[in-house]
Amino acid sequence: MAGILRILGIIGSGMAHNRMLWLVVAGFGLFPIFTHVADLPFWNDLAMRIMLLGIAAMGLNLVLGYGGMVSFGHAAFIGIGAYCVGISQYYGLMDGWLHILFALLACGITGLIIGVLALRTSGIYFIMITLGFAQMLFFLFVSLENFGGDDGMSIDRAEFGIIDLYEPLRLYFLIWGVLVLVGVMLMVIVRSRFGVTLQAIKSNETRVEAMGLVPLHYKLVSYVMSAMICGLAGALFASWQEYVSPDIMHWTRSGELMIIIILGGLGTLAGPIIGAIVFLLLEEFLPLMLETLLPAYAENWMIIFGPLLVLVVLFGRGGLVGLINRIIDRLKGSSASRGRS
Amino acid sequence: MTITLILEQIFNGLQAGVTLFLVAAGLTLILGVMNFVFLAHGAQVMIGAYAAAAITNATGHFYIGILLAIPLTFISGYLLEYLVIRHLYRRDHMEQVLATFGLILFFNEAIRIGFGPAALFSDLPPSLSGFVEILPGVPYPAFRLWVIVVGLCCALAIGLFVSRTRTGAMLRAGAENPEMAAALGVNIKRLFRLIFAAGATFAGIAGMMLGPLTAVQPGMGEPLLILSLVVIIIGGIGSVRGAFIAAIIVGLVDTVGRVFLPSLLRLFFDQATADGAGPALASMLVYILMAVILIFRPTGLFPAKGRE
Repeated sequence: MAGILRILGIIGSGMAHNRMLWLVVAGFGLFPIFTHVADLPFWNDLAMRIMLLGIAAMGLNLVLGYGGMVSFGHAAFIGIGAYCVGISQYYGLMDGWLHILFALLACGITGLIIGVLALRTSGIYFIMITLGFAQMLFFLFVSLENFGGDDGMSIDRAEFGIIDLYEPLRLYFLIWGVLVLVGVMLMVIVRSRFGVTLQAIKSNETRVEAMGLVPLHYKLVSYVMSAMICGLAGALFASWQEYVSPDIMHWTRSGELMIIIILGGLGTLAGPIIGAIVFLLLEEFLPLMLETLLPAYAENWMIIFGPLLVLVVLFGRGGLVGLINRIIDRLKGSSASRGRS
Repeated sequence: MTITLILEQIFNGLQAGVTLFLVAAGLTLILGVMNFVFLAHGAQVMIGAYAAAAITNATGHFYIGILLAIPLTFISGYLLEYLVIRHLYRRDHMEQVLATFGLILFFNEAIRIGFGPAALFSDLPPSLSGFVEILPGVPYPAFRLWVIVVGLCCALAIGLFVSRTRTGAMLRAGAENPEMAAALGVNIKRLFRLIFAAGATFAGIAGMMLGPLTAVQPGMGEPLLILSLVVIIIGGIGSVRGAFIAAIIVGLVDTVGRVFLPSLLRLFFDQATADGAGPALASMLVYILMAVILIFRPTGLFPAKGRE
């Protein structure tokens, strides 16, 4: 009982400390009202995509932002999660909860194996080894002819007991619920003893070791957890897309997840979801923008997006969350100084 | 399964291996000496292939195309380092991944705008388009043989340069301990620019030689980039010798495995299992090899000293 109260306390104070995250999450909760009034159902679809990539990026952020492990292979876990749905359905299992259970188990085990092998190294080696393993899994699914191989397989929306996902907005709120859950979970983890140790390892591993802790254990556990979160996102992704192919785990998607996190703000709770909003809006609207300005080049929006990424690295500090915080600080600072004068 | 087929596949593997080495040689130094995560190395392959194909088509001469494309790739590498890359050395790995990922998108799209999304084709000169008998009664495509010879010559030149020259000694010193090398008076800035431009050139040469064998199209360098990263993991970051040995191993395993693994599995399993698992295992073989080597040697076969 006392434990539950303590966790509730952490959640409460965490909510107060991470207002930006919960504002965004609440925004997603209220968004369908807006699309209904404005009659823009297409936007619900985009919002679901944003939330799904946001959840995956939040999972990756646990190792990338808080643990300082640059994993370049997390798309593989999204893929495993999605294929768990596809393969279960291939064998006639339609229960969505079961799919999610399989996805969590499969990603947990794969994450453990890859983690054990990859975490013996660090730096550039770690980046490339995680990429190597992701490619291995990519080619595994490409060559599984039973499950569609290169072409992928189509999927029915899973059955979640009484929740019929074909009813409008049910899937939306299922994804939103998972977003809330993952948000709360990560908030508790980051503020727990485990999370604090993880962040200490990021800043000085030797020192943590000198305190008698084993950094590898913390890194491994966080790696497995982040793999499972990505798998969860992948399982929902399959239901949303009603289709899964190896494309979902292409190595460029691992890059996209990293872009989303850095764009939003590394090692912040709100960063990944804000990054996902900006990334997908850019992906959606850069082509439209080009179409009006330079119709001949509408399809070549990446020629702008690519250099934009380089500029973000060269001149952006702390991502969008950092930028927002700086603006808030400046506003507070100027009002405070005005108050004094 | 005849001797001819086996020999042919071994040569194909060798050809894939030397091509991989040309890409990996520069990249292993960029990763090892410069400690810089450069993902756009595949774009250099593409630039080389496009430059050679476009010039060949314009002049009608394959060799002129190659000879003019080589300095072009050097210049493109030099400019890229000067304009973008040198500003990224001090950034952390994640930001380097992000920025060079952006460069990939940029280069692919620029090529798509310049040359269209379709593949570019160019003709081989008559002297290279025929077959050569490597053994009596065993014909082999002349161009593939030419690729092997050129690749081995480049590998020899790189090897001699790294092991015998003054700059090569600086490279090796830089791979083992960059700070110490800088403290001893190595001009790191100039060294980095040289590594980068030379790496781009060799990657470009790999592209020029792959062009006639595969399709010259946007994004053609990425599969090669990923494979060469595997080569570098196996060989050890920063080691040119390791990259060479690993590239040949990976080239052989990949090529020979794809051809012979399905029939090999048929010896142990029934037809259906073998046909199902064969292609799956074959395309994963290189990565399985990587995983196995990592279990025993987490830093690759030939890690640069001081990095273990």
